Amino acid sequence: MRNRLRWSAVWLLGILGFISGCSANKGGKPTSQVPDLSGIWLGKGIQSLSPSDPMGHKRPGTEGDIPYTPWSIARMKAQRPATGPDQDFAKTTDPALRYADPDGYPRASIHPMRFKIVQTPDSIYQLWEYNKSWRQIALNRPHSEVPDISWFGESVGKWEGDTLVVDSIGFKDSTWLDPIGHPHTEDLHMIERIRRVDPETLVFNFTFDDPKAYAKPWNGELTFKLKTDGIMTETIYTISDELSFRQRFLNEKPTIPIRPSP
Amino acid sequence: MKAKVLALGVLLMAVPLFAHHGGASLYDMSKEVTLDATVTEYQWTNPHVEIGLDAKDNKGKVRHWIIEANSPPVMANKGWNRKSLQPGEVIKITFNPSQRGGSVGRFIKLVKADGKEMLRG
Repeated sequence: MRNRLRWSAVWLLGILGFISGCSANKGGKPTSQVPDLSGIWLGKGIQSLSPSDPMGHKRPGTEGDIPYTPWSIARMKAQRPATGPDQDFAKTTDPALRYADPDGYPRASIHPMRFKIVQTPDSIYQLWEYNKSWRQIALNRPHSEVPDISWFGESVGKWEGDTLVVDSIGFKDSTWLDPIGHPHTEDLHMIERIRRVDPETLVFNFTFDDPKAYAKPWNGELTFKLKTDGIMTETIYTISDELSFRQRFLNEKPTIPIRPSP
Repeated sequence: MKAKVLALGVLLMAVPLFAHHGGASLYDMSKEVTLDATVTEYQWTNPHVEIGLDAKDNKGKVRHWIIEANSPPVMANKGWNRKSLQPGEVIKITFNPSQRGGSVGRFIKLVKADGKEMLRG
């Protein structure tokens, strides 16, 4: 009789534990409620996704934590970024500066301006202040059968406990991953693990898998702080702005006529 | 004076040197120029805010300068707006001079006639 009671108690505790496990994740939050990532966020203004060299002080290939292929190291060395030890703004080949191309992703989040996360049941949106650009992360659905090639790629996501896991493909290969110029191909497959580690801090862990550009997958990380002051502003950077800047500050002759003032 | 230089050094270290316009490939970050000047234009524009000014050189000849500040949202976070300066205002302005010569510079700070100090965002 005593044994039967003991086993009944063990069984009851097991059932309660199972029910408890179904309704709460490791953070103690019900799985029916996902973490709230919404808010306005600002990064640290890094220059490189290399974890050992976030400010981009080292020359390409000397970071030690980026597994370049011959293709990507040659491409890096041929570029002229506007940051880092070999920076040359006047002759830069940075497409986001030279041609006012969209930053693409993840570079959009590296730009030293804010972005807002808007969270809905079926999608999460990142809205960047710079160039008023945005990205959709569609939740709980597969990728398109033939994804378009686009500046910001195609992203699908799902919640794993308190972490949003995002799978992205279909990136236009002319964008740089970061201001120092890490390249990628259209075959880039990017996995992000996004977590609000505390009320004020959002962390994005990236895995970049792109066999032509990198010999093996490598990781980067971006951290953002919650900004509760101010509102999102309009900062749209155009080729006309760039030509005007170069004419005034570098004394360059514009390659096309600059838009006249009204 | 030493304390002022030290304070400015700390300030510059605290401000990330973002890749974009106004980097070390354009300006000599190790040098600072301070001028008493008159504002001739103030453009709240992209990619970076521009301040045009006239200042007399050592021989009393007026020289025109264009000074590059930061982007409007970053400046706004430091209390600037599109009406922060008016043509005709007399200011004392400090900037990094160009690496390439010419009358251009990278804005560091200015002091208005009423003593109000305004910093780069």
